[in-house]
Formats: sequence, C-alpha cells, structure tokens
Amino acid sequence: MVLVDAGGFFPENDAPEYQDVASFLMDGMKLIGTDAVGAGDKELRYGYSFLKANVERTGLPVVCANLFLKKTGRPALTPYVIKTVGTVKIGMFGLMSEKVAFGPSQDSLRVDAPEATARRVIAEMKRKGATVIVLLSQLGKVDSEDLVAVVPGIDVLVVGHASSLLMKGRMIKNTVACYGGEQGQYMGRTIVTLNAARGQATGECDAFILSPEVGERSEVAKLVKAFEDGFNEKLRKIEKERAAKAAETKGQQEGPERFLGAELCMRCHQDEAQQWKTTSHAVAWQTLVDAKQENNPDCVACHVVGYRKPGGFQGATDAAKLANVQCESCHGMGTMHEAFANPHKTVTEQVCITCHQGENDSAWNWAQKRPKVLHSNMSGETLKGKKGTTGTMGKTTGSQ
Amino acid sequence: MKSLTSRLLTSVLLGILAWLALAGATPKKASLQEPDKLIILSTTDVKGKTSPCG
Repeated sequence: MVLVDAGGFFPENDAPEYQDVASFLMDGMKLIGTDAVGAGDKELRYGYSFLKANVERTGLPVVCANLFLKKTGRPALTPYVIKTVGTVKIGMFGLMSEKVAFGPSQDSLRVDAPEATARRVIAEMKRKGATVIVLLSQLGKVDSEDLVAVVPGIDVLVVGHASSLLMKGRMIKNTVACYGGEQGQYMGRTIVTLNAARGQATGECDAFILSPEVGERSEVAKLVKAFEDGFNEKLRKIEKERAAKAAETKGQQEGPERFLGAELCMRCHQDEAQQWKTTSHAVAWQTLVDAKQENNPDCVACHVVGYRKPGGFQGATDAAKLANVQCESCHGMGTMHEAFANPHKTVTEQVCITCHQGENDSAWNWAQKRPKVLHSNMSGETLKGKKGTTGTMGKTTGSQ
Repeated sequence: MKSLTSRLLTSVLLGILAWLALAGATPKKASLQEPDKLIILSTTDVKGKTSPCG
C-alpha cells in the first residue's frame, strides 16, 4: 500500500499566519506516513525557503522533478522517490506547470518542460528498478492527460491543480488517471494488478468520501483539534486588531452604500423575517462557532452579512447585528433597497452560488434548494439537524 | 465531518487491511513479498483545509 498526495496542500491565503497551517499539514502528512507529496505553485506561495525549511524539518518526501534553482541548476526539491513493497519498486515523481506564476521565489527558480522532464525521470527510475511509476501532477487536468497520452511508462496519474472529482477514474492509454477532488473531502483509491515482472497489468481507480463513517484515530484527532484551537485563537486576535483598525478608519473611505443589518429590514418585512428564522440561513454563524472556524476569513464570508464591506461584518463584535446569512446577503445592501424593490427583482442563482459552490457545497442544486428557503416556505426543513432554532434576530444563537 | 488528517490515517489502516485481503492472506500469514495487487491511496489540492467550515 502506498499513500501519496499530489500537491496543492498549502492554504489559498497569502497572509503570514497561514504558514502555520502549511507547516501543520506537513507535520500531519509525515505523521500518517505519506510516501510522496507533489508540489506546485501553491507550495511556493510563501517562498522557496519556507517550503525547503519545512521539508528539512519534517522529513516529508516532497517531490518535483522539473523545478530547479536558477543559480546552480540543481533540483530545488527531490525529483522522485522509489519505495519498495515486497518485490515491487514504486517510483513516484512530481511535475508542476511551467505556465503559472509561483510567488516570491519566481526569480530564483526555473520550471523545465514537463514532457521532457517526465521522459528523463521515468527512464532514470526504471534504471533503478522501479516497475510501477506514479505521477503526482500539478499540471491541471488537460495538461496532465495530454502528458500521459504521449509519454509512455506512467502507470498511475494522480491529477492535481484541477479541482476535478470523478468517482471513477479513467484509462488514458496504459495509465490509470485518478481525480480525487480537492480540500480533503475525498480520497482516491487506485488498485494496480501486478504482472509477473511486478509491473502494472491492469489498474482501476475510484474516489470515496472521507465521511464520518471512515472513522478517525483519537490521537490524530486530538492533534488536529489542538492545532485548530490554537490557530483559531491566533486568528481571533488578528481579526480583533484588524476590526479595530477598520473601526478607526470607518467612514473615511466608504461611499453612501452600505449594509444595515436585518433588524432594520424586519420593521417592514415581518412575515419574511419570521420565515427566515425557520431556515438554516438564520443559524449559519453558529455552525462556524461549533466548528471553531468563526475567525477563519475563508469561512466567515459566507456566514455573515457584508464581510469586510461598508457597514458589514468586520469582526466578532459585529456578530449580534450582522452574523448569519441575513436579508442583505441575498437581496443586497439596505441602502440600495429601492434599486432592488422597484421594480421588484428576484434573487438569482448567481447570488446563491457565490457560497453554494464547489467543495463548499458540491451537492447544491438551484432547482432543488431554492424552494426550501422561499419566503412562502415555513416548513423549517433546512434546519433539521442544526443547532439553535432562530437566528440573530431571535437572540438564541450561541454568538449572542 | 471528521478532521482530515485523522480520517486519512484511518484510511491508511483500511488500505492495509484491503491489501491483505486482496493478497489472499491473513495478517499472521501475510505474504507481503509477492502481492499481486498494489493499492495507492491519494489526495490532492487539500488547500490548507484541516476541517470543513461548518
């Protein structure tokens, strides 16, 4: 059995505090025995020195065969690793795209052509006895598929930098391509049947969701929780400082349009407000609090009104007024009421998919979900299984 | 959802069991020298997520 990650595991946030997450994930992958980890532009967003220092600190086998130091011409990372399992030697190498910018170390690094690099590295691994070759690709879906179609000898392709989730992998000539989605919600499982020469005879791949049914190891869960608690506290302090600065400059850079909060809306729209309280939108903030993500900017924006916008939610002190997905989240700023109401406009799918999209809510469907939150629907069906029964206006959520 | 890292570790253990099953062996008699199948578990583009937003 082999455990790999195709790369793209660094956070999508350039703020320096998120380097803690990158370091923690490298610790975690080392802890669970990851055999090889690909790397791409995301892993270089905090600079090459940061990545290299963490590779050396953790001993995590991060591989990329086509990334070089401009000054010396030497590989910037280990090009490949070969793992022996019984009599099988598995060669695992990484490739990143030459088409993307890769952050503060751009001037000191060079990315070689993936195809030529792949041919060279595969030959080298085979000379060293590798009989099964795995490519951890950060080339994206199309370029990954194109590469394995023209470069022979790659048995398994793990497609990264693609956001592609396919429950069943596909064969591209003699290569099994695996598409495991993103954000750690799914895991790819490739089964390679070996021939007498210990190479690949056949292969197949499927993706399975890492749902609660998979279970977890208590000691690892404790480690994750301890990190998240500490990181959440760090974010809380940073958010508090940022909100204080925003309050100091409030009004200086703002135009006339701003968010007002739902209490103002409900003075006239009482029936709509009562219905809103029966929806999961009204307890959206509490779900973040329960998950200890209420200071995570990547999460907060979809659980409050007008995050970091004029009149909108700036920090936890605004929770009483602006937490949850309120009227203005869907209908727009209160100061622009007339533009929305006269003539009356309806909320479009485009508004919903600013949050209900991708891995945030991959199963979301406009036709199915819209009726559940219409102001004529008092069923409360979206609240089933959620904590709390009413939102900010009802004063019963945990943030009050 | 459970934390990503802990779920990954559990998946590794499941993979080992699957390996043994596919090789037609019990843990005590595991013939790991000559398995006829290889299992590769993979993730990609984790993007710094240690657990879902909520």
